[in-house]
Amino acid sequence: MLDLFAGLGAATLSALQRTGRGFIFLLRTLAGVPLLLARPGLLVKELFSTGVQSLLIILVSGLFVGMVLGLQGYVTLSKFGAEESLGVMVALSLVRELGPVVTALLFAGRAGSALTAEIGLMKSTEQLSGMEMMAVDPIHRVIAPRLTAGFIAMPILAALFSAVGILGGYLVGVGLLGVDAGSFMSQMQAGVDWRIDVLNGVIKSIAFGFVVTWIAVFEGYDAVPTSEGVSQATTRTVVHSALAVLALDFVLTGLMFT
Amino acid sequence: MRYGQLREPAFGVARSVQYAPQTLRKVTGCPLPTMAPYAAMDETHISIEQVSFSRGDRLIFDGISMEIPRGRITAIMGPSGTGKTTLLRLIGGQLVPDSGRVLVNGLEVASLSRRRLYELRKRMGMLFQSGALLTDLSVFENVAFPLREHSRMPEDMIRDMVLMKLQAVGLRGATELMPAELSGGMARRVALARSIVLDPEMIMYDEPFTGLDPITMGTIVTLIKRLNRALGITSLLVSHDVEETLSIADHVILISAGKVVEAGLPAELAASASPWVQQFIQGLPDGPVPFHYPAPDPLEQFLGGDHA
Repeated sequence: MLDLFAGLGAATLSALQRTGRGFIFLLRTLAGVPLLLARPGLLVKELFSTGVQSLLIILVSGLFVGMVLGLQGYVTLSKFGAEESLGVMVALSLVRELGPVVTALLFAGRAGSALTAEIGLMKSTEQLSGMEMMAVDPIHRVIAPRLTAGFIAMPILAALFSAVGILGGYLVGVGLLGVDAGSFMSQMQAGVDWRIDVLNGVIKSIAFGFVVTWIAVFEGYDAVPTSEGVSQATTRTVVHSALAVLALDFVLTGLMFT
Repeated sequence: MRYGQLREPAFGVARSVQYAPQTLRKVTGCPLPTMAPYAAMDETHISIEQVSFSRGDRLIFDGISMEIPRGRITAIMGPSGTGKTTLLRLIGGQLVPDSGRVLVNGLEVASLSRRRLYELRKRMGMLFQSGALLTDLSVFENVAFPLREHSRMPEDMIRDMVLMKLQAVGLRGATELMPAELSGGMARRVALARSIVLDPEMIMYDEPFTGLDPITMGTIVTLIKRLNRALGITSLLVSHDVEETLSIADHVILISAGKVVEAGLPAELAASASPWVQQFIQGLPDGPVPFHYPAPDPLEQFLGGDHA
């Protein structure tokens, strides 16, 4: 029984220590972000690997999610004779929820895991240590550009996901199932509010991008420098990011839409 | 060689480009390191005073003390796991001792602010066992990395500096290769070129001979010796390769179980009466360090049929 309490205490202390390390790490990284103004090349390089290289999976997924929404929405709405509202249903689902959330989950799987593995391997091959010995702060040189790139890329990817998703819904609804194109577009235009729906969706995607990238770079930097340690850190990035995004989504939705 | 004169006759590189010290200081923005050849050779460069350090429950150093002279090759030797690399990290300020002091140029490393520590590190080179090359940069960019980070040199001067250092390690023709295309020995030579690109006062070599073929090992041995003799760089060599290390070291410190076991000239160590020193230097399998891990009586264990 005593062992159980001792174990619980040790696990709690360890989790608190790790959280503390994560926040200190974040503050040190944020302190390095202004230095990027002097070296925009570092940011552009990371934007390419974090954002541009995630484009394919985001666009293809967005298209399919939109097409599925079009199909499911049509089947449900047609029961009530409301299939003309398909546009607004697809758009609201994507802009408010699926765009930011699914993009964040895909982003964690594609870019987040890559960030963790890359930084973890840099640590295990002493590249970060080597930088420190060359009087170069790896948090400023390696971490800050990656965190900033994730923070910038994620909302753009989410916006593209939603746009392509709406296109997918349109193709299925209008092109395949015969919903009137004018109704699809006009109902969407009338039903989607710029501030309440679009802006809140963008805020969500910024928050998710920040959290996912923070988790990814911290897990990489804090990884045990062995192949097993890097592998575990990569797994933790995906799992923790997914849980954090879903929990944060609930909180943000509660604050924004109720 | 005068400081600021980019000639390295010791490596057979005839350079036509020369820069006056004030020009170099103005252009690079880097502090000019002290030229070791003109420094007193027996002056203490690094001083380790009563340092204790532990990882978890394991005590690695127990009040260890030593002095590293300026401009010499000092070898720190000892069996695997005695904390030789840890010692380098304590000197470089990557680790902080539990007690005691590590002084470099009279400055206590652990008490320096981050900015002053980084200023000190600009005057230190470190050759990691793995090379620690940045895998997304070419050989040229790896060597240019410290210059790009710490100076505002024009591109043509960076090019000259990088090519000169690569020429010194015999890899001027490998500028475009990526680290993944290099052999272990080549990677270490590139790392060596990178570690001297800022003209440091001292270089720490972490197991520079491990895993190398005899030719490459000979090359690295020669390079370490020539760098020290030509530029007077304080060289701190951590290794357990006895023959190669003793062939170039001016001063050897043997450590084991967190303490200095013996220190002196290579010849003095070779003539040491200590059985431990003789076992280590001659690589004898049995002696004060037993061949067998502590185990129960063999007869009892074999006949008892028990593993424990």
